[in-house]
Amino acid sequence: MEASAKDLIYLYCITKVKPHYADLQKTGIKVYSIYSQGIYAIVSKVSASKFGEDNLKKKLTDMSWVERNVRQHEDLVEAIMGETTVLPFKFASIFRTEKNVEKLLKENNAEFKKIITDLEGTDEWGLKIYCSPEKLKALLEEKNELIREKVQEITLAGKGKAYFLKKKKDELIKNMLNEKISEYTQNSFMKLKKRSSRARINKILPKEVTEKKEDMVLNSAFLVNKKRIIGFNRVLVNLKTKYSDKGLSFDCSGPWPPYNFCSIRGNKEKHG
Amino acid sequence: MDNVMLKSKDVTLLEILDRVLDKGVVVSGDIVISVADVDLVYVGLKVLLSSVETMERLRGAPFAGAGEEPT
Repeated sequence: MEASAKDLIYLYCITKVKPHYADLQKTGIKVYSIYSQGIYAIVSKVSASKFGEDNLKKKLTDMSWVERNVRQHEDLVEAIMGETTVLPFKFASIFRTEKNVEKLLKENNAEFKKIITDLEGTDEWGLKIYCSPEKLKALLEEKNELIREKVQEITLAGKGKAYFLKKKKDELIKNMLNEKISEYTQNSFMKLKKRSSRARINKILPKEVTEKKEDMVLNSAFLVNKKRIIGFNRVLVNLKTKYSDKGLSFDCSGPWPPYNFCSIRGNKEKHG
Repeated sequence: MDNVMLKSKDVTLLEILDRVLDKGVVVSGDIVISVADVDLVYVGLKVLLSSVETMERLRGAPFAGAGEEPT
């Protein structure tokens, strides 16, 4: 034990039902709850040497530490999600004292309760769509009449003109590729949105982060009623079948805690 | 037909980071990771996932570069 180590409070999520701590033991974290006016903050004590402001910044450059702790956060929230509706907090939401957590529960009480009520009976599902442009490009060159015409023209043209025509053809393909990708992804998103309570589009992640050969073309999240999941799944399977031979691959994951659907109104106002 | 909805037991780190670090309720708690810090983690993730060559190139560069003057 470090003499200087002072405990901080790590907040994982908020619930309306007190979780069974026995079930949380497998996460390896000693969890307890702070109660106020009908809601529970699920917390654990963490050391300031790891989660204090300056120390945390240093730790964030250590990917193995980040991975371990982020997975732990997720495991814990998922374990509680198995029992009751959770309002998941962002990684490393840290408070200096239990009093401060209580204050948070009191000040945002009505809003937290409302958000949890709205989330009851739903799960978050994620869909990332990737595209192999080569495959779609080959398909366009083979099937699209406008492009086939251009290819024909090129083979008949003289050397100088062929170069010019080829440049035009490449540009046409590029535009058409973008058009098709946006048509396919928008259609997928809209069809799934119809089967969801809520839906959102997130920012595309670069290849360096995804470590995929294909480009990410859609990063989306859906809040789906548990009772409507079969319908959602059916639409997803249809889309996957329809678009897979067009060079798109679907990466669906879930059920997740509703990280994408729990923004706090008061917080937005502060930023705006 | 295989069920696309099944959550794989081994969820990728990317999927978790995309949520746990980037989303979730953000309150003006006592200490909260800022947006700049999240970017820092993504740089870290990039290093983790990239080739050794890229890793060494990034290592040579100042990390967050926040207070650093470009030379």
